[in-house]
Amino acid sequence: MAKSEVREKATLTPPEKKPPQFGMAADGTSSPAGLIIKILVLALVLGIAVWAALPLLADQRWVGLAIVVLVTALLFYIYLSPRRVPAKYLIPGTLFLIVFQIVPVLYTMSTAFTNFGDAHRGSKQDAIAAIEGTSVQQVPGTPEYVLSLATKGDPTTGDIVFLLTDPAAKQSFAGTSEGLEELAADDIQVGPDGKVVEAPGYTVLNIGQASARAEDISQFSVPTDRGAIKNQGLSRAFEGTPLRAYDASCDCIKDAESGQTWTADDSNGLFVDSEGEALAQGWKVNVGFRNFTDVLSDQTLRASFLKMLVWNFGFAIGTVVITFVLGLLVAVVLNKEELKGRRIYRSLIILPYAMPVVAMYLVWRDMFNTDFGLLNRLLGTHINWFGTTASAMFAILLVQLWLGYNYMFLVCTGALQSISADLTEAAQVDGAKPSYAFRTITFPLLLVALAPLLIASFAFNFNNFNAIYLVSQGAPFPPDNPQAGNTDILITYTYRLAFGGAGAQYGLAAAISVFIFLIVAVISILSFRRTHALEEIN
Amino acid sequence: MSELIPPSETMEPTPLRRPGEQVDDTPHDVVRLGSAQGGWFRRVGWRHLVGVLALAFSIFPILFVVSAALNPLGTLSSSQLIPTGASFENFTKLFDTSFPRWFLNTMILGIASAAVSLFISACAAYAFSRFRFKGRRFGLLSILLVQMFPQFLAIVALYLMFATITDLWPPIGFNTVWGLLLLYMGGALGVNTWLMKGFFDTIPKDLDESAKVDGATHAQIFFGIILPLVAPILAVTGLLGFIGAVNEFLIASIFLTQDSAKTAAVGLYGLVSQERNNNFGVFAAGTLILAIPTVALFQFLQRYIVGGLTGGAVKG
Amino acid sequence: MKRKLRIVRAAVLLAVVALVLSACGGGGGQTSGGGAQTGSGAKLLIWTGGGPGGEATKKLGEAWGKENGVNVAVQLVPENLQTQFVTASQAGKAPDVVMGAHDWIGNLVQNGAIDPIQMTEDTRAAYEKLAIEAVTFNGQTYGVPFTMNNIVLFRNTDLAPEAPSSIEDLVATGKQLKAAGKTSEILALPVGPTGDPYHINPLYTSGGGYMFGQQPEGGYDPKDLGVGKPSSIQAYEKIAALGEKGEGALKRSIAGDNILSLFTAKKTAFMISGPWQFADLKKTKLHYDVSPVPAFEGGKPARPFITVDAAYVASKGQNKLLAQEFVTNYWSTPEVNLALFKASPNVPALKAALEQIKASDPLVVKVADAGRKSGQIMPSIPEMAAVWDPLGKAEAAVVAGSDPASSISAAGKAIQASLK
Repeated sequence: MAKSEVREKATLTPPEKKPPQFGMAADGTSSPAGLIIKILVLALVLGIAVWAALPLLADQRWVGLAIVVLVTALLFYIYLSPRRVPAKYLIPGTLFLIVFQIVPVLYTMSTAFTNFGDAHRGSKQDAIAAIEGTSVQQVPGTPEYVLSLATKGDPTTGDIVFLLTDPAAKQSFAGTSEGLEELAADDIQVGPDGKVVEAPGYTVLNIGQASARAEDISQFSVPTDRGAIKNQGLSRAFEGTPLRAYDASCDCIKDAESGQTWTADDSNGLFVDSEGEALAQGWKVNVGFRNFTDVLSDQTLRASFLKMLVWNFGFAIGTVVITFVLGLLVAVVLNKEELKGRRIYRSLIILPYAMPVVAMYLVWRDMFNTDFGLLNRLLGTHINWFGTTASAMFAILLVQLWLGYNYMFLVCTGALQSISADLTEAAQVDGAKPSYAFRTITFPLLLVALAPLLIASFAFNFNNFNAIYLVSQGAPFPPDNPQAGNTDILITYTYRLAFGGAGAQYGLAAAISVFIFLIVAVISILSFRRTHALEEIN
Repeated sequence: MSELIPPSETMEPTPLRRPGEQVDDTPHDVVRLGSAQGGWFRRVGWRHLVGVLALAFSIFPILFVVSAALNPLGTLSSSQLIPTGASFENFTKLFDTSFPRWFLNTMILGIASAAVSLFISACAAYAFSRFRFKGRRFGLLSILLVQMFPQFLAIVALYLMFATITDLWPPIGFNTVWGLLLLYMGGALGVNTWLMKGFFDTIPKDLDESAKVDGATHAQIFFGIILPLVAPILAVTGLLGFIGAVNEFLIASIFLTQDSAKTAAVGLYGLVSQERNNNFGVFAAGTLILAIPTVALFQFLQRYIVGGLTGGAVKG
Repeated sequence: MKRKLRIVRAAVLLAVVALVLSACGGGGGQTSGGGAQTGSGAKLLIWTGGGPGGEATKKLGEAWGKENGVNVAVQLVPENLQTQFVTASQAGKAPDVVMGAHDWIGNLVQNGAIDPIQMTEDTRAAYEKLAIEAVTFNGQTYGVPFTMNNIVLFRNTDLAPEAPSSIEDLVATGKQLKAAGKTSEILALPVGPTGDPYHINPLYTSGGGYMFGQQPEGGYDPKDLGVGKPSSIQAYEKIAALGEKGEGALKRSIAGDNILSLFTAKKTAFMISGPWQFADLKKTKLHYDVSPVPAFEGGKPARPFITVDAAYVASKGQNKLLAQEFVTNYWSTPEVNLALFKASPNVPALKAALEQIKASDPLVVKVADAGRKSGQIMPSIPEMAAVWDPLGKAEAAVVAGSDPASSISAAGKAIQASLK
């Protein structure tokens, strides 16, 4: 055989043992073209790394800078080293995977240990600032001033001054950080709307100038005996006083008017008063395993968990099986060379794949409408598709079949083309029926090639939120349990639990996702061990 | 007695022939046990029937969309399959919006996303298929498991991440095609890698070995031998990547708020907004136009998907 | 071989140096360019939903920007604007102004996302009282309203010339028309497979139910949940009588996506919906009229929910000065209100604007009158978000024919559980 001859030749004259060269493959053969490409790419990588590092440097983000340096060094090492061949192929994809998928997943999982959600998104400082800010009330009996923003002197550097006009009393004032100072009517010019247009010693700002000093203006206020005067936009000012303030000594919020106190509850991230009433604004705190125990002790979840898990698996497996079977069937049938119009069939069959999935889910949901839907009208029936569990499951799987079989059809066609047509011919010459040849030769090969795809498709459909939520929304719901429907899968239930309550509860949702993740991971690992799907197949 | 096929020759897809064999091109339908030289229907016609049924099954919901697009009062539940009172009003309304710009954005994103993710996926699939290294199984499994984490939860994390990115590197931040492209690359190692690995596995290792002995580097084997052999699946993956990027809505809608940066999917949903009913006709019209490049791409790729190639699964 | 290696090494070094230099140049230029940008003039970023209202907002925003020399960018966020706004606010990427429904206020305030607004007495007086009430939360005003919508009864005047005086009257007329073969449905009230508490609220309140009790100083009391109480069960018993096992006036197969086509195709003479339908109805030649949603005979008044759209100032926006100016001084003008109305037919919140459209759009004024007379502001407390889903599902179950007592009490329990 030619092969062994070449091997023999190779052993007769062993190649010189060269130490691994810079940029060369271990056996000393590297095409010049390959080398040039490698150099160019690495140079590009370095250029990008420098470009990325500069803003990090300017911002003094040392951790980010270190990461960029490390990653660049890693890339250089991998691509310049003659070994590490698998890494050369895996590194680009892995880097993207880590940054844009794994890091967010880890971050989200870490929120499972907090009460992150609505009213608990920021820090305690944020909450205090928000509470104080939203408690500012206009001091009763004070005028609603017409405001002109001005500076003492240069518009870009001078002190901010509020030129105020009380429209009722027709008096004007200059408000500085020392307080209000009356302005004589003869000295100033006032516009028809009451705005001070000119005043000696002060420069009135236009919008551009005011916008440039926005930060200073937002921090500026004119002190008065009962509070302070702050601006509202460019042309109004009010005298107001914050009713609530934070008192560090008691770690609480005090209301100046009513005297009520709300003390900080750091285990829940809320300010609570003596009766247990909390202020609206809270903050994010670490809650340890509380979300996890909540999930485990949730009554609805316990009662329906098994049911949802079973349907979740059934739905995912069912989708994969029916789409594969129909796709394969149609692919085999249409695979004949002589079949005219094959191209037309192919193009039109995959047309559903070109339509936006979300829109198609809605169209299908409309078709299942009991009284007006297309299906019922065509069949002349009055089936309430989402009224009973069995029909709802059937409806969902039908939609999935429609959406997915053409993907399988496409892939199977590609696979069938790659598999030697000669094989089946040869088998038939040997006396086998076409169907037998298919069953024993083509199909096993097909399965070998497509098994990973089927597994991956199962994984995708396991968490196919849209397929359930947009079509049936989990219906039908048992009358005594509005939370867990009969076609709910774990992820739709998670979504409803997390976002259906009084605001989003990301921490709780993350905890449930961790559970789902663990379950699926364990089952996948076990099934892989058994089917040796990861072993070499050839 | 099989001669070695030098790498250069395998660049071109050739129909499978054992080298040296006399090719008999005369059609011989002699070896078809069980089906006599029967009528057209028996041999081919029934296949047409299946094809037509499959076609009808695939097409009929799309007729809904077509009918809504042609109906000036286009609502989701027009309840009529065959369009009546056709008018192109929805299409003209569509071009009054920024649709042409959105369409361009989508095409750029779609093609770039498909190409890059295809390349990354193929490289990774090659590594998983051909090399044995520590962490190989773990890697394969983790690719799968990462897919199983619900997207809508990771959105907050992604948003925070991109908020920082936008501050530091605006060209790849929010409202840029490149930033969204990078984000999509995160998903490149996914279902497609598994799909391609399966196909790579069907190519016998002997091919690699003989080429290696002949002096080819792993890169040359990859680009020169393996890739041409799996052209059908590359075409399929590229097409799927394109479709995925074109139709992706959830992440794009969060990422792209500026009108000139939006993709067609995001822009079209903006037209329909809260009341799904009103303007559904315009939405349907846009959807149909958006489907055209996909179908065109498929037509273009058909010959790669269809052509039979060497290196079948089992070789003598 | 060695020489080749040396050349290769030199080439690599050169390429690297070249690229580094160019990157430095590019990077430096970029950072300095970035620095220059922040000082270059006034900016304002506004987020609003999609649709024709969003387009109109864009035009108005740009007009104001041109007049005042401000670079105004209006971005349309079609889905999940509230969630996206809160997420962006926390990430430091909030817009300066956001347009949204008033029932977002509770959630936005608890997340520290919006600032209260001080309105002058004159401005306040220019608005409908209920509109101002809607944007008030915990004693503070948070937004400048621009629309005030509520649902009414649409009636095909060819089929039903007189407005029904009660629900029972409506059902009777509907049945007559159905028997005569003129229509196929009695009423198009959206229910859907998962219910719709918003549209059924007039019937719910007329039957005696309520969502949340009122606090003495105004506003809703989250501790007093009406769902699950005997009054709510009684109300739903009346609703059950209209359901699929009763008169057949309420059906789960009728939902938001098909009420309009049912009404325009004359399959029903009555539709309960809001002024957003006017735009499409104009395109048909239908003869129709609107009237307040009727109550049950002998029941309490039927109170539709009032929803208000308002403009808010983001707490974490970068340009608060301009945002406050835009929202309090520009968005509150009648010209703006009218322009928005022309684009999307919602009831204007400004009294002056409503006056102006009296002649051209009398139906809109009728909607406003109905709202003013018996409308009930939709609760904006965060706890309301926990009500929709369970109550909706219970409503769907009751319409389907299941026992109101068990369904509604289960809903009440579920809501209480998620409020804890």
